[in-house]
Amino acid sequence: MGQMSTLVFAPGFFHSGAVGVAVAVGGAVAVVSACVGVFTVIRGQSFAGHALSDVATTGGSGAFVLGVSPLTGYVVLGLAAAAAMDLVGIQRARGRDVATGIVLGAGLGLSALFLYFDTTMRATTGATMTILFGSMFAISSSTIPLIAVLAAVALGVTALVYRPLMLSSLDQEIARAAGVPVRLVGVLYLLGLAIAVALSAVTIGAILSTALLVGPAATALRISRRPATALALASLIGVGSVWLGIVLAYDSFYWPPRGHGWPVSFFVVTLVFVFYLFTEARVLHRLARSRAALARLAARFAVHRQARIQAGG
Amino acid sequence: MARWPRRSRTGATSVGGRARGMAAALLAVALLAAACATSDASKTGDTGSRIVAVGAENEYGNVISQIGGPYVSVTSIMSNPNTDPHTFESSPSVAEVVSSAQLVVQNGLGYDTFMNRIEAASPDPARRVIDVQDLLHLPSDTPNPHLWYKPTTMPAVARAIATDLSSLDPAHRSYFMDELERFDQSLVPWDQAIAALKADFPGTPVAVTEPVADYMLAAAGADIRTPWVLQADIMNGVDPPPQDVTAEQQLFSRHQVKVFLYNQQVTDSLTASFLATAKQDGIPVVGVYETMPTPGYDYQSWMMAEVHALRDAIVYHVSTQRL
Repeated sequence: MGQMSTLVFAPGFFHSGAVGVAVAVGGAVAVVSACVGVFTVIRGQSFAGHALSDVATTGGSGAFVLGVSPLTGYVVLGLAAAAAMDLVGIQRARGRDVATGIVLGAGLGLSALFLYFDTTMRATTGATMTILFGSMFAISSSTIPLIAVLAAVALGVTALVYRPLMLSSLDQEIARAAGVPVRLVGVLYLLGLAIAVALSAVTIGAILSTALLVGPAATALRISRRPATALALASLIGVGSVWLGIVLAYDSFYWPPRGHGWPVSFFVVTLVFVFYLFTEARVLHRLARSRAALARLAARFAVHRQARIQAGG
Repeated sequence: MARWPRRSRTGATSVGGRARGMAAALLAVALLAAACATSDASKTGDTGSRIVAVGAENEYGNVISQIGGPYVSVTSIMSNPNTDPHTFESSPSVAEVVSSAQLVVQNGLGYDTFMNRIEAASPDPARRVIDVQDLLHLPSDTPNPHLWYKPTTMPAVARAIATDLSSLDPAHRSYFMDELERFDQSLVPWDQAIAALKADFPGTPVAVTEPVADYMLAAAGADIRTPWVLQADIMNGVDPPPQDVTAEQQLFSRHQVKVFLYNQQVTDSLTASFLATAKQDGIPVVGVYETMPTPGYDYQSWMMAEVHALRDAIVYHVSTQRL
């Protein structure tokens, strides 16, 4: 048993401060992203979520220029972008992909400028890698309280408006008819989304943060259409991907090139994708089964027809 | 091994580039950069009929000035102590300075690759380029590019500078050779201080953030306990493996090192956390630099100050976080 555990968890895993912080922060972030993500997928706003994460990149790189914590930048610009989305009218955003795309392009362009300043004028060498692809093993323990507060706010808001939010996410017209303040609920949802993206950016990077937002939620919704089950499943898949990713990244220290370790973000995003592929396989299997049933039905129909033609002829 | 990946955004180095719009955008960025930052290029005096020389890093520029005296006009490209030279991005104004230079001194080893690109873009058969890597016959897979901390580097560089200046301006050959002699003499106290450190405290265990001063530490007989991968990862701006982060933190918490050498020019939240841990555990900190801290220092006094700071840390447990 002891040998088994060192096979899975490389030596020192449970004594490493960096791993401890990553497990705690990564787990919390995965739950927030998964819960908010379920609503994002139901609302069909994955692209808006991605746009938000790209704008968060601008915030993170700007924060490095100003010398403040990137998390502050992610949150501030994420909230600003969410507010802008609400003003533009994200409810109709399905028809506004072009506008969203142009705005997120401009945001990334601004990030390029800020990252240029970061690397040429300040001693922040790793800024680009940290912002784009995250640094889960280099999260400063001083940011943990802020992360905890933000996670609590996002989950609290989601729990508070759970029923009206779910209703308006599924069908806005019915929700409005039932007396749900759709606009207010939408704004609260965007607040949660901005926080989820910001937290996710701290762990797996701003560019990759949508993976943790949309991936587990989409997978869960393929397995179960029941909202509560989907929320639990998404959280499970998100936390599973992050924690397993951390274990693999820690173990990869002993893989080639030996003594380096592969980036943890790679493992997390890949695992999210693998979980999605599992359900894809399930859906394909179901589809194949129904195709076979259809073929049998068609064959039987053909046989009947043949018999009728013969009887008639 | 792909080192310094962050240097790969090369747009700014293509002077006289493709589209006019791109040039305009670059110019705008360059103007903004010039307005926002302290000037990266520092000129000493006006040109006239003097030899125009460029030091890619200001420590090399400083040695050119010392050897050439009033007969050279030197521009140093990288001299801002608040930036990381590894990530330096060239601008059209830098390209202009280099294209008109008669003598260039650059480090090599991938540290200032942009210099090669600028030189290739403005070919001049008369221009003399001293590439310190080539001068010292170092293979290009040499892991540590911070050659100016190596005691044998600058005497060789100074000799090459004196030789090149003499052929560019034969009339003042004796002046250059005298200055070379004086320069070599002025490095003797530094060599002696390093030798004394090695004799008095052989095998002193130290921790570092990145391999800036590793050559000097090796010469002083110090035992660098920080894992190499951690040093290289911090230098290259990627996340080090958690195993190495733990190893570095234990060096402090278990008091296994006597000094922590902290690179003031490459910092992030991780190096900041190392600094905090070292201070908390009472490990003296010595700040080291990629480029010569200015004003107030020349190459010799800078190197001397680093050795003194190291000695103070070992003997008196005194920190010299900034020179």
